[in-house]
Amino acid sequence: MAEVKVNGKKLVKRSLFWTWAPRSEKEAGDSIVRNLLLHWFPAKVTLKSLSWGYSLWLGTITATLFLILTLTGVVLMFLYVPSVERAYQSVKDIEYVVSFGWFIRAMHRNSAHLMVAFVFLHMVRVFLTGAYKNGVGAGQNRPLNWIVGVVLLLITLLLSFTGYLLPWDQLAFWAITVGTNIAKNAPIVGEWIRFVLLGGYEIEQNALIRFYVLHCFFLPAAVLVLFSYHMWRIRKDGGLACVDNLVLNQKKEKITDGIKSKTYSLLGLTTGRTVQVEATLIDEEKYTVNSIPFLIRRIGIVMLGTFVFVALISLFIHAPLEEPANPNVTPNPAKAPWYFLWLQELVAITTIRIGGFVINGAFVGGILIPGILVALLAIWPYLDKSSNLSTGVWFSKERTKQNIIFLILCFFVIVLIIIGTYMRGPNWEFYFPWEAWPQLPKKF
Amino acid sequence: MEKSKLKKDIVVVYAIALIGLIATLAVYVKHLTPEWKKYQSEFKQYVREKLGEDKARMVEFGVRQIYVKELNRVDRCITCHIGYEWKGLENASNPFKTHPKEILDKHPVQKYGCTICHGGQGYALNKEEAHGFIKHWDEPLLGKELEDIYRPPDRKVLLQMNCNICHRYDTLTPGADYINYAKKLVREKGCRACHKINGRGGVIGPDLTYEGDKAPEQFDYSRIGGYKSVFAWHIAHFKNPKMVSPESIMPEMGFGSREAIALTLLTMSWRKVNLPPEYIPQSSKALADLPTPEEIEKERQMREGEGAFFVNKGCFVCHSISVFGIESAAKIGPDLSNAVEDVQSRFGKTLENFIKEPTGTMAIVLGSQIILSDSEKAQVVELLTKAYEKYRKQQLTSKP
Repeated sequence: MAEVKVNGKKLVKRSLFWTWAPRSEKEAGDSIVRNLLLHWFPAKVTLKSLSWGYSLWLGTITATLFLILTLTGVVLMFLYVPSVERAYQSVKDIEYVVSFGWFIRAMHRNSAHLMVAFVFLHMVRVFLTGAYKNGVGAGQNRPLNWIVGVVLLLITLLLSFTGYLLPWDQLAFWAITVGTNIAKNAPIVGEWIRFVLLGGYEIEQNALIRFYVLHCFFLPAAVLVLFSYHMWRIRKDGGLACVDNLVLNQKKEKITDGIKSKTYSLLGLTTGRTVQVEATLIDEEKYTVNSIPFLIRRIGIVMLGTFVFVALISLFIHAPLEEPANPNVTPNPAKAPWYFLWLQELVAITTIRIGGFVINGAFVGGILIPGILVALLAIWPYLDKSSNLSTGVWFSKERTKQNIIFLILCFFVIVLIIIGTYMRGPNWEFYFPWEAWPQLPKKF
Repeated sequence: MEKSKLKKDIVVVYAIALIGLIATLAVYVKHLTPEWKKYQSEFKQYVREKLGEDKARMVEFGVRQIYVKELNRVDRCITCHIGYEWKGLENASNPFKTHPKEILDKHPVQKYGCTICHGGQGYALNKEEAHGFIKHWDEPLLGKELEDIYRPPDRKVLLQMNCNICHRYDTLTPGADYINYAKKLVREKGCRACHKINGRGGVIGPDLTYEGDKAPEQFDYSRIGGYKSVFAWHIAHFKNPKMVSPESIMPEMGFGSREAIALTLLTMSWRKVNLPPEYIPQSSKALADLPTPEEIEKERQMREGEGAFFVNKGCFVCHSISVFGIESAAKIGPDLSNAVEDVQSRFGKTLENFIKEPTGTMAIVLGSQIILSDSEKAQVVELLTKAYEKYRKQQLTSKP
């Protein structure tokens, strides 16, 4: 490599990428603190946090899916035309003539479905491990982070829902029709919400452009902001909740070793540490490893694994595209997106017919029940009175009752979704999976 | 968890990376070996054998399409049907065959594309989806696959349906013999007596001007056996209207398979297609779908003659009254000239009582389509008695 001199300095490859080299340990440490990516992670991490079995890495998988969605989504934005006249054609072109278009779209669609599923699973994991509870550290506010998580779940649903309309086919049009009609039944604001969302009373060009902007800019930006805060809070809360549990157990160990907790805390104070000492492991060597390379490597595995998994299933599961949207022809049955099917199922169940008199279940099934469930979900950490020994432990004995109730509710939602997806045929009639649906008529 | 376990992570990284590599390769293989490439190289080989190396060198590879902005269609059929404009491949088999030249001279490919006539999915680049016999595509190729389902008496007639998108106002369209035959039936059988077609006709039956736009869900298939489709519904309905929809008063015309398929093609061609004006044939024939001067004169005579009452009330749609010079187009019901006698023998009651309390088809007609007041009912009896007298006289004079 030929040497080039600028201002008397050698310009070599290294100087192109490193503008500054640390001259002391302190400066080197500062550089890590200042680096956004490295700042996300602590320098050292507990073995428990790294284990596959505690967190199941569901949050990392979700974040990776979001990354895949952003990357494929940006590509799709160059190809998709958000207009009633052109949207369907542009999606057909993506499927048939754009190089790898079918693959990128399949990855986007599959990741979107998976993201909804994994956000939900992540929430279930956090609930069952009591990870929304504060432990022993000062300044912890895990309940707040749980609420941020619930909001992220809702935004994820909205992201998927807004994306559903964009192909402008029958599936899109009628799923959004069902979805927005459920929203309409919210008291007082329902009509208004539907009007604002659709930019009118019909699903037309106004609705399409609104959904497009929400889907491509507004909601992803909101996820990015909240996700950053979500991650930052994890560090402020002293890492994963299992660390708190480790600290508490370690204290017990120390007690059996004959060291009194009082002495320990005094020691902590005398060495100039704050009360946060309680959340600090004493025997670091035994329980922790360096984040680089161990944490980074595990994150790499999870991200790569998620990416490869999505790529693999996208080879076989392609994104659907039905007939062009036709407001005059309702497909039978018309279904909401699968994650809203439990609501549609609830609406169907709570709709009561007595003779010719019909009590529409849209309010009870579509607004009231899900509204109460989400509200309960958000405030649950404040209602959960179990001790901090139940923080960061799978199926803590203290929390058995609430875990069971939570699981039963999850089970009901899942069962309703399965019934709605696979067992509801034309006219919303019930069919067992082995029963054939009546043949739907075709033109030819 | 043991620290030593973490060291094994690197193996996992390599394993997943390997699977990722395989997935990437699979995507590339799929990308590089599309179905159309196979057809294109086969075509090159075929041309080499048939027309020589020089011609084979002219075969270019790649996706081809015809974009017809006016019709809002993009047709990629010619990616595989690559020989459509070549000379000398007239006897080749599909997809390499030369397209019949005469029809392309009148309908240049650049102006029409493929699917507006042939049906199918122009977007697609593989046979199954392009020919359109898949879920979620409403316009399949009007060709062999469809013929195998509906088995028309003649081959290659189904795509005539699409000729009539532009040629709907023609009386005769060269080459579209099924459509021409169906249009002849419409005139002869007097469909317009009950139905509005192209804006002209009666109101007893539904307006058929845009019948082809009806969605599959808008038909009742409960009395049709076998495959459920709009096409099958129309065929069954033309053959036996009452069997398919019992409330219908549409008469059974005794249509065979040929008639039923021709009429089905015609009715399903009546769609609202947004065509630029230059696509609609501008010839003297274009306005031919209007009544002829003879027809107009005859209707005038009927309206002004002795039997004007029956013309104005619409009875003449089904019934002739020959003694009054009224001739029904459809001749569905019996001639009313001898109704006085005929009603008695058919229904076992007098004409007067039958008009007051009709039975069978007439109960439906007089209950919903033609409502008569009491004085009008009396008028009917009076006029038909008069007709009967005239009829008797004719019988007597003609007999010896």
